Amino acid sequence: MPRNVVLRRRLLLAASIVLSLVLLTAYFREPAAGLLHSVQLGGSDTLSPMQSFATRAVQPFRDGYQWGREVLGANARNERLEAELEALRGELVRLNEAREENLRLKELLDLREAEIFPAGSTFVTARVIGKSPTKWQAWVQIDRGEDDGIRLNQPVVGATVSGDKSLSGKGLVGKVIAVGKRSARVQLIVDSTSSVATLIQGTRAEGILEGTLAGRLIMDFVERDQPVEEKFIVITSGFGQIYPKGIPVGIVLSVGEVDVSIYKQIEVRPFVDFETLEEVMVLTTPLAVAEDPAGMSTVVPKDTASEGQ
Amino acid sequence: MIRARLIEIGRYTLLVLLAVFLQAVFASQLPLLGVRADIFVITVVLVAVGAGSNTGLIFGFIAGLTADVVFLEPVGTRAFMYLLAGYGVGRYVEEFGLASAWVVVILAAAASLGSQGVYGVMQIAMGAEGSLFSMVRRQMIPSALFDGLLAAPLYLGLVRLKLVHQPRSAGPLFS
Repeated sequence: MPRNVVLRRRLLLAASIVLSLVLLTAYFREPAAGLLHSVQLGGSDTLSPMQSFATRAVQPFRDGYQWGREVLGANARNERLEAELEALRGELVRLNEAREENLRLKELLDLREAEIFPAGSTFVTARVIGKSPTKWQAWVQIDRGEDDGIRLNQPVVGATVSGDKSLSGKGLVGKVIAVGKRSARVQLIVDSTSSVATLIQGTRAEGILEGTLAGRLIMDFVERDQPVEEKFIVITSGFGQIYPKGIPVGIVLSVGEVDVSIYKQIEVRPFVDFETLEEVMVLTTPLAVAEDPAGMSTVVPKDTASEGQ
Repeated sequence: MIRARLIEIGRYTLLVLLAVFLQAVFASQLPLLGVRADIFVITVVLVAVGAGSNTGLIFGFIAGLTADVVFLEPVGTRAFMYLLAGYGVGRYVEEFGLASAWVVVILAAAASLGSQGVYGVMQIAMGAEGSLFSMVRRQMIPSALFDGLLAAPLYLGLVRLKLVHQPRSAGPLFS
């Protein structure tokens, strides 16, 4: 490139820079009514109608754009808040579940520490994972099985939330009637084929507590001369080799007598609410069992036992 | 020769007026990402790309003076910014050519960023309070991106209207 071209270009650059800096300096040095200010304001005045027209012409687009932005922003914010709300709802449900489970387990712990079980009793805590599908039977399935030390005929106790340290809500649930490797089935004491040797605190009257299809508990074989009244506590008697003595079962709800029967008709309300039962404790006490070909252990009928059918 | 010169001057005058119109009617009215496009700097870049550093410099100076009026800036501020942008872009194209029309996009973004950097330094020198670095994030980079993106359709349109030239080294338009 010729030297003079380069020189001219540089001179032009330098002159332009100097000129712009001179203009800038002059602009700041001159009064508000000076030439440059006047030119600038004149130019601005010339342009202002066009700008005013443009502002009006573009206003609908600006409004639309602004509206779109606000709608998009509102939608995005709404979605974010909805998502947060959902997350918090989920968290709340989880926390409520954890709190309720904590309460239930605490009740179980209270029951365990109530010193009503034989010395050296060991427990396996299990979660209820299934319930009998019909009213013809009353059982629950638990998530512990043979691998966890669960065996047939082991007594099962449970607790439903009562909110205090008393035995209210805590008591006998039933016994294990079938065991798989990792699950087991527990017959509830309200099952119509269940029978439990029990006694009534205060009178020491003994009887057999039986379930009914209606889901009620009837204590049978209590002599008519036994002074039994409502609100008396029913506990296991320890007879029959399945349930240890002293496990709370329920409370006497009503006492009836029929002329043709030599026994009282006593209805017992169980301490445990089987409808809301979610966790249980299995007392791991070994009993005689038999294996069936399907791999599930079943209860060996005991002719001599007064309970366990 | 003189006629050709006059036509060229008339074309650049038309470009400045077009820039004023576009700036006043569209760019000033329709912000994007909180910033407004600077049609003037884009136009300066497009002229410098087609006509070289000298024309770019002079056009930048004239467009800058006009922009100072439009933007109500101290007269000389944008003239200084744009003459540097026009000269720099013109020199770049003279040295390296224009391999692709997409280079125009990059040059426009770079010129926008550079001129805003100069503007920022000048503003701070004139006593503006604030951090230049925060302005880089909030103003300069978004504005440079906006200007760069807007340069493509403007270049395409102005070349088709024969208001700016394509340099001899230029490849096809955004193919």
